[in-house]
Amino acid sequence: MTAGAASALRLHELAVRLGGRDVLRDVSLDVPMGSWTCVVGPNGAGKTTLLHACAGLVDRDGSVELFGRRIEEHRRRERARSVALVPQHPVIPEAMTVRRYVLLGRTPHVGPLGAEGRADVAAMDSALERLDLAWAADRRLDTLSGGELQRAVLARALAQESPLLLLDEPTTGLDLGHQVRVLELVDELRRQERLTVVSAMHDLTLAGRFSDRFVLLSGGRVVATGTRNEVLDAAVISEHFGASVQVIDEGDLGWAIVPSSRGSDHR
Amino acid sequence: MRRASSVAIGASVLVASIVVGILVGPVHISPSDVLRWAVSFGGATSVSDQDAAILANLRLPRVVVAALVGASLSASGAAYQAVFRNPLADPYLLGAAAGAGLGATISVAFGPSDAFAVTVPLAAFTGAIGGVGLAYSLGRSALGGRSATSLVLGGIAVASFLTAVQTFIQQQRSETLRQVYSWILGRLGTAGWDDVRIALPSVLLAVATLWTVRRLLDVIEVGDLEAESLGLNVGRLRTIVVVAASLATAAAVSVAGLIGFVGIIVPHTVRLLSGTSYRHVLPLSVLFGASFVILVDVLARTVVAPAEIPIGVITAFVGAPFFLLALRRSAGRLT
Amino acid sequence: MGRRLVLLVVSVAVVAAACASDGEAGRESTGPSTGAAFPVTLTTSNGDITIDERPERIISLSPTATEMLFAIGADDQVIAVDDQSNFPPHAPTTELSGFEPNVEAIASYEPDLVVYSTEPGDLGSTLGGLGITTMLLPAATLLDDAYEQLEQLGRATGNAQAATAVVDDMRTEVDSIVSSVEMPQPPLTFYHELDDTYYSVTSQTFIGQLYALVGLDNIADAADDGGGGYPQLSAEYVIRADPDLIFLADTKCCGQSPATVAERPGWNSITAVRGRDVVPLDDDVASRWGPRIVEYLRTIADAVSDVEAEAA
Repeated sequence: MTAGAASALRLHELAVRLGGRDVLRDVSLDVPMGSWTCVVGPNGAGKTTLLHACAGLVDRDGSVELFGRRIEEHRRRERARSVALVPQHPVIPEAMTVRRYVLLGRTPHVGPLGAEGRADVAAMDSALERLDLAWAADRRLDTLSGGELQRAVLARALAQESPLLLLDEPTTGLDLGHQVRVLELVDELRRQERLTVVSAMHDLTLAGRFSDRFVLLSGGRVVATGTRNEVLDAAVISEHFGASVQVIDEGDLGWAIVPSSRGSDHR
Repeated sequence: MRRASSVAIGASVLVASIVVGILVGPVHISPSDVLRWAVSFGGATSVSDQDAAILANLRLPRVVVAALVGASLSASGAAYQAVFRNPLADPYLLGAAAGAGLGATISVAFGPSDAFAVTVPLAAFTGAIGGVGLAYSLGRSALGGRSATSLVLGGIAVASFLTAVQTFIQQQRSETLRQVYSWILGRLGTAGWDDVRIALPSVLLAVATLWTVRRLLDVIEVGDLEAESLGLNVGRLRTIVVVAASLATAAAVSVAGLIGFVGIIVPHTVRLLSGTSYRHVLPLSVLFGASFVILVDVLARTVVAPAEIPIGVITAFVGAPFFLLALRRSAGRLT
Repeated sequence: MGRRLVLLVVSVAVVAAACASDGEAGRESTGPSTGAAFPVTLTTSNGDITIDERPERIISLSPTATEMLFAIGADDQVIAVDDQSNFPPHAPTTELSGFEPNVEAIASYEPDLVVYSTEPGDLGSTLGGLGITTMLLPAATLLDDAYEQLEQLGRATGNAQAATAVVDDMRTEVDSIVSSVEMPQPPLTFYHELDDTYYSVTSQTFIGQLYALVGLDNIADAADDGGGGYPQLSAEYVIRADPDLIFLADTKCCGQSPATVAERPGWNSITAVRGRDVVPLDDDVASRWGPRIVEYLRTIADAVSDVEAEAA
């Protein structure tokens, strides 16, 4: 972590309590601008809640700072212009067209009583183009395949033009080919638009292939942060996931984490 | 259907309905007479005093009241369907109908009988607003939060309770049954300019509010969480919609009784024509809703003339198949 | 011993004489109130009924029957009347309902005659099964029905003479009222309002006929197609028909008055409203067929005379 790099997102002693349970405890994190940080952890670790807290959508203790300013100081629409969330299970209004759905991403820019202007339509069109959905603009959402839907949600987030992008399990329900395509697309967008990406992923191999920083969340606490070698380490992963794994690092030929031949390690 | 053309169609249908509403009634007044009367509005004409009285003091205000009622109920229905994400939501969802019914019953049972024309609408209005207020506070305090579900549950509880009280009073004062029952079925038979004066300000204010926030109703379609992430204050929008829709519904109910199904039939029909975006559904619901009630009222007063069928009976006849249609189309959507 | 024998003979003679005179009276089946009026057999709407002796515990479940009973002098014989019987004021009103009669409640009074006018369910046969005589006097359709009911009540209660006198008086008064009214040509039109949703009556009904007696023309006659004589009109219809007179039979039930009528939208164009010929009636008087119909007829006739006087 370079001391001088500006921080897109900074969490300090973040704690969230939901339904009487402490879902997140004492989470502190610093995400530099332009990086891709991946949050990994076993089921129930609190990854989704963490992303929601970063978007200011849950009650919390501790502080969340977006681009140097505390989130409380952002007004709602301002906050939405800073951070966009792509949820794990987005609500898909079946009869809505793709065009309208992506246009929803302009909501923080338009204002409650206004109407979309040329700039908004341009942003929508550009997002549709980038995600190769221009052909589907007037199709109903319920006519799209899983992969196309995922791209539509991403297009909406892109149209929002927020420099911080939160992705909750972006590869859910996609086949391998689509999984890779979506992540490559995000990477490309990140570089082109200078976005900061924070994603929650359960697929450690894909996480390791695309992100440059990693956070391991377990039982609501951060148990490891750092580079891929530091966090996605066989011992660390085995300990927290309760499975015995091994890292296969072939350099340029590829990198993967796989269950080791000894199988799972029940604790 | 493109937006501009569908609004034009809606406006034309409304104008045509108004014309039909003025021309057609249990008493036959020839179109040429109506034209003569209209042209020399208010002045001395060759139309008889009685016919002029019918046109100016009965038909015209009745058409206006019908339009106001139709616009209110349709806009409120559409807006409720948006903020509760439920295609079967109608304007009476949060206890407005039960509250209005109780208000009317109390004023018929205990109020001065020579002042019914004043006390019943006032009591119905107050009751409608009160019912919603009660549902709202119940939903917030007892059931936690301003979420859609807690409001709906509050509404159900309040409606059951108020209806029970109303039934009890009617049992004790059975002479009120006939009058309350006829009010519940909805009628425009005694509509006059006074009713227009009572209803107009509330309806205008409320419908204008809903019209203004129609774009935000689209945003709520993706659920509370995502809408918030897009910068929308979901709780506040829901409150604004509930207040505006309740005001419009209360005004409609106070002058016309409980006319059901309009808030479901009109928005769903409009969606079939223009798609589901509330940018179009809301304005078109207002226009087509007004036309619908005007035309249904014409039916109500001519089919068994000179007697009148309570307008709520006709809308129920038309409404039942609509429920089925809406259920089928939304079968996969309701969670 | 001789004295005992005389006593025995005298007693037997007295008893024999009493039996003989009873026997004589029993042969009479119907008849005037001279001498022994009971037992009496009457043909009524619920069949033939026989009343063995003068009823002393009469219950009336019909406000009209109550008025009739008190008019023919049966006051002391009536022990209870239904909750709607409000005339005469000193009638013994109870909570018994004429619309939803509670057989047990009725029977608990131990009546010997129950008079009623509507039959919801099998009131007659149920009470009959308990040994209680009942008399059904349904709503009259003709003026003569009303007279007939009075006579029947008279015979049933042992007040036949008084009943006949009441009926004769009524006939005389009706004739005098009718003959004293000037009936203009063309006839004056009227609207009789039953409630605030514009229900009216046609000339087929009892009330409707009374209006016809004084030469009035009913605007509701044109409206009732196949109905039971009680059509629902609409505001437009009444305004267009422009009646000369309006009679309000909904002053008590629905709070209507000449003032409220004048405020209805468009109604101030009607002749009757402009000429202040809107007549408030007592709901009860306008819905019963007892002796007070004479009073009702007088009210109508006076209204007609008023209009005539104004026109002059």
